[in-house]
Order: sequence, then C-alpha cells, then structure tokens
Amino acid sequence: MSTGPTRPTDVTEPADAPRSGPHKVLLAFYALFALAAGARALVQLTTQYDEAPVAYWLSLAAAVTYALGWYAIREASAGRTGFASVMLWIELAGVLTVGTLSLVERHWFPDASVWSDFGIGYGFVPAVLPIAGLLWLHRWKRRESAAGMPADD
Amino acid sequence: MPSVSTQITVIVVGYAVLVVVLALVVALRHGERPGWLDQMVWMLEALLVVRALAGLGAFSGDGPDSTSTYVGYLIASVCVLPIAMQSIRDDRAVWSSGVVAVAALAIAVVAVRLEMTA
Repeated sequence: MSTGPTRPTDVTEPADAPRSGPHKVLLAFYALFALAAGARALVQLTTQYDEAPVAYWLSLAAAVTYALGWYAIREASAGRTGFASVMLWIELAGVLTVGTLSLVERHWFPDASVWSDFGIGYGFVPAVLPIAGLLWLHRWKRRESAAGMPADD
Repeated sequence: MPSVSTQITVIVVGYAVLVVVLALVVALRHGERPGWLDQMVWMLEALLVVRALAGLGAFSGDGPDSTSTYVGYLIASVCVLPIAMQSIRDDRAVWSSGVVAVAALAIAVVAVRLEMTA
C-alpha cells in the first residue's frame, strides 16, 4: 500500500504487477544470485576450466536457474504462476541434488560449485531461496483464490 | 598502516551493515521507507565510488591475483545499489526496505571480497 508519488509503470514490470510485497525481496535475491553465479561461472570456465569443469558448468546452470527464477517470480506476481510453480521446484531439486552429490562424490568436485554443500559458500541462501519462493507462491495463490481470481495453473 | 583502499573498505562495510540494520528495523516496524534511508543508501554509493577509484590503484605494480574477478567485484560494487533503488523507485511500502537491506548486505560482502582479491 504505497503512498509514494504516482509515476508511469516501469517498462520492466508487468502492467498488472503489484507494486510491493515479499516478491520484491525475492526478486532482489534472485537478481543478485544470477549476477554472482553467472560472473563466477564465466570467470572460472574461461580462466581455470580444467580444474573442475563439472562444478563450473553446474555453477553456470545455477546462474541460468536464478535468471529464470527471477522471471518466474516476476510473472507470478502479475498472476501468471504457472512457470514459477515449475521453476522453483526445479531449482530446489537442483540445490538438493548438487548439494548431496558434492558431499557423497567429493572427487567430482575438486572445486566448489554455487550449490556445493547446499550453498555453504553463500551462507546456505541457495538452499533457503527456493523454499522461500515456494512458500510465497503458495500464499500468493491462496490469496488470489480467496480474492476470486484463481491463478492460471 | 593499512592502505587507503583497505581503510575505505572498513568504512564501507561498517556503513553497509548500519544500513542493513536500519532498513530491517524500518521493515520490521512496518513503516514506509523513509527518505533518510534513501539518503543513507546514496551516501553508501558515494563511498563505493571512492572505494572503486582507490581500488584502481591495485592495477599498479603486480596487479590483483585474478584481474577478471577483481574487475567484476569492482563493477558490482558500484552497480548494485543504483539497480536496487531503481527497482523500488515507485515503491515506498514496507517490503522496499527489505530490498534495501538485501542490497546493502550484498555490498558488504562484495566489499570484503574486493579486499580479498586485491
């Protein structure tokens, strides 16, 4: 419920997107992680590829996942929740799979990826982020249903 | 005696942590984002620009261990806050303070990493 000055809708926001809500914080986290993971993966892939190619490709996959997650949450905040329902589960599965593999098959990871040890290098935020996103999505859908505007999935 | 850029980094990290704490206090009190919080963010951005300029000195002599990593952190340090503030340009509601907290926290981490890679 903003009381700030009214301005034309930002072209980067869907016209029907709500102005504020927890999704703004989620979007900030996803943008930061897409940037951080993407930059890290590109630097490692181009400068030290032979050291741990699997880990570096997985970091790049994580970066792509965060970019898609950012888009999915942005769309969900405008009522189009279908993509987010899939994307956030994919992200959670990725974190859990890579996190588990990095503990069980340590020789596959001579160097860490973003999701190694469930994101310990980032304060476990990578493990918490998809869960927070799914919780937000669940509450968002329930609110939309209560308002008589069922989500599109 | 620590270098000038190290001293500025210490100030940046301390100030960024202060912004995080204040932004969280504002958010937890469910208040609108006050103007003074914006001003603190832009003051932090000014400090980061000074830090970035001082950080260019790292290229003299042997240079940083990993130039690409260092340049990445240097660019990120000055870009994160303006992008975050742009994303909440029309939004002064409670969650916009959360965005400020996230961005300032990221800046504190980036500043530390910048110092480690110099």
